[in-house]
Amino acid sequence: MATIGHNNLNAKLVLLGDMGAGKSSLVLRFVKGQFLEFQESTIGAAFFSQTLAVNDATVKFEIWDTAGQERYHSLAPMYYRGAAAAIIVYDITSSDSFTRAKKWVQELQKQGNPNMVMALAGNKADLEDKRKVTAEEARVYAEENGLFFMETSAKTAANVNDIFYEIAKRLPRAQPAQNPPGMVLVDRPAEGARAASCCS
Amino acid sequence: MTDEEREGEGETRASIEPGSEDLPSSPSSSGYAAERGSTTATTDSQIEIHHDDDIEDDIAIEIDRISVSDSHSSWIPGKRHLDEDDASISWRKRKKHFFILSHSGKPIYSRYGDEHRLAGFSATLQAIISFVENGGDSVKLVRAGKHQVVFLVKGPIYLVCISSTDEPHESLREQLELIYGQMLVILTKSVNRCFEKNPKFDMTPLLGGTDIVFSSLIHSFSWNPAIFLHAYTCLPLAYATRQAAGAILQDIADSGVLFAILMCRHKIISLVGAQKASLHPDDMLLLANFVMSSESFRTSESFSPVCLPRYNPSAFVYAYIHYFDADTYLMLLTTSSDAFYHLKDCRIHIEMVLLKSSVLSDVQRSLLNGGMHVEDLPPIPCSGSSHLSQHMLPSDSPERFNEPNSSIGGPAGLWHFLYRSIFLDQYVSSEFSSSINTPQQQKRLYRAYQKLFASMHDRGIGPHKTQFRRDENYVLLCWVTQDFELYAAFDPLADKALAIETCNHICQWIKDVENEIFLLGASPFSW
Ligand SMILES: Nc1nc2c(ncn2[C@@H]2O[C@H](COP(=O)(O)OP(=O)(O)O)[C@@H](O)[C@H]2O)c(=O)[nH]1
Ligand SMILES: [Mg+2]
Repeated sequence: MATIGHNNLNAKLVLLGDMGAGKSSLVLRFVKGQFLEFQESTIGAAFFSQTLAVNDATVKFEIWDTAGQERYHSLAPMYYRGAAAAIIVYDITSSDSFTRAKKWVQELQKQGNPNMVMALAGNKADLEDKRKVTAEEARVYAEENGLFFMETSAKTAANVNDIFYEIAKRLPRAQPAQNPPGMVLVDRPAEGARAASCCS
Repeated sequence: MTDEEREGEGETRASIEPGSEDLPSSPSSSGYAAERGSTTATTDSQIEIHHDDDIEDDIAIEIDRISVSDSHSSWIPGKRHLDEDDASISWRKRKKHFFILSHSGKPIYSRYGDEHRLAGFSATLQAIISFVENGGDSVKLVRAGKHQVVFLVKGPIYLVCISSTDEPHESLREQLELIYGQMLVILTKSVNRCFEKNPKFDMTPLLGGTDIVFSSLIHSFSWNPAIFLHAYTCLPLAYATRQAAGAILQDIADSGVLFAILMCRHKIISLVGAQKASLHPDDMLLLANFVMSSESFRTSESFSPVCLPRYNPSAFVYAYIHYFDADTYLMLLTTSSDAFYHLKDCRIHIEMVLLKSSVLSDVQRSLLNGGMHVEDLPPIPCSGSSHLSQHMLPSDSPERFNEPNSSIGGPAGLWHFLYRSIFLDQYVSSEFSSSINTPQQQKRLYRAYQKLFASMHDRGIGPHKTQFRRDENYVLLCWVTQDFELYAAFDPLADKALAIETCNHICQWIKDVENEIFLLGASPFSW
């Protein structure tokens, strides 16, 4: 849930989608500005944070990059519960991954926070010649389901910051935190001891 | 890690003939052998089937010609040779295969090659397994020429090892147990339910991306003594340093953490558990392997479900994992899925304390210095003031009691030792002397220890107290008491009496430095 303090917003964001769609690569591009051609499969669920300035406010994203959705499907709610935003990622060169993405959207619509900002990311947009999912098809689907849609490339960085920025802009602001069940983020004071943390 | 996956020297070829005429036909033929054509010269090899009782089934089993060579290159993490399938010669030449498959014969994991491309071979394995099942629980091992085929049946999941490495079959079975345990770490036993609903259930997607966890475990079967000793090892540290680490872990364990574990690579710095909760050394090994094998835990902090098979094979606990540096990492285990932010705060606190008390820099120094060097074995009688870092201070170091040998090892030609404290569930391994500094030599010694261990613990022969073996490679000495087990390797020309005396010295030395090499007085062990 997004919570507000002064002009600061803390927002829990979760990435969902098929293994290999590029979730970790998108996060790594957004948080560290890197891209690895041979990104290793994520084994657990990794946590990152990154702060964005949007207009008059700063949004601190607390990002969950989950792994093995198949494996931990029954545990996925633990990561999306209380999330203010979700990026559902598919790989434009794989129709299967698009099908799986739609399943995630359905699940979030049923189980997730009703005010969740949902983004659909058609990743690997640099692989135009291998494309299997047209942008049009995805756009129509996104519109019908109240998501916003972008094609991204973690490799070229195209639209990566933009998708996070767009989410930040759309996060509900003045809304009082209606406590979701489970984990609630409080706006914690700046952590003085974070200096050596890996994701500062 | 520069260890090599090289098995023995030279090209040994073993082949197994499928059902020859003096053996009745096999229970099921996959046709796998037929596809192959005969390409290698073959020798008739006998297939021995080991029953616990006396079932007189004559059976031919198609294991096919699994030839052997040392064609491996240096070990790199991850699945090797994905291009291989069961028809490729290189695949059949591998010395040690591990497979996981389901009751219905669906491949789940294979050490070499892509599981799905091995479907034909999997059918063969399944034929073997149905034979195993018909033989009741008694058939667990099949010998075929140079090969041993070892089975482990775990409900709907079957694990198979085909090996020509000459390891004791007990060791291979334990390795299969650990592979199964590793699978449970990732999935828990509840995966069995998928097979109840659908016997043809395809498990591979559930394990997606975890190949590296298994290949790293299998690699440790040739270097990590914890595999057969079933014990922990600690990073050598000054007593006060380990105490400082333990104290801060204890603080946070009291706030509802099941286990707090600080590790450096595969060695424990400190470990604290909630009351009554005990962590089995095998769980520790599997957990550390799970975390260390994957780059993804190094990239950021994480909070992931894991199962500790010896603690509770049916349930997940949650692991907060954070690397302080390239080698040192913290694992906080909890039963609460909501605990992430709490554990993150705990970690920040722990990190602050560790930095202030310079534990992390001491850890790096210890890593650099290594542990016990056989060259530093002090002369007897021991003064009691022995200290691990002696070798760092040459001016202080006492006269070595066998000076001429010191360049190639310790006194009396001592090359290496392993000491396991039964009471502590911990072991310590010396550094390798220069006489065994290549990965091949180290792996050979590992296998020799493994064999010695198996023979010392062979229930059939009864418990041995000591063993002395001399071959062209070493003198091996083993000594087992109620309190400890000592395994030592010497120069093959070493004098027996001197070697025995040296073993006494080692034990004394270990007593003198036990403060630094073991975690003492910790609660989480199940003593
Ligand atoms: N060409 C291209 N490859 C990508 C892109 N994003 C990710 N990849 C590659 O796709 C593979 C899987 O990416 P990863 O981030 O691990 O996917 P995840 O399983 O969803 O986390 C890796 O080899 C990446 O290098 C992209 O935008 N373009
Ligand atoms: Mg990933």
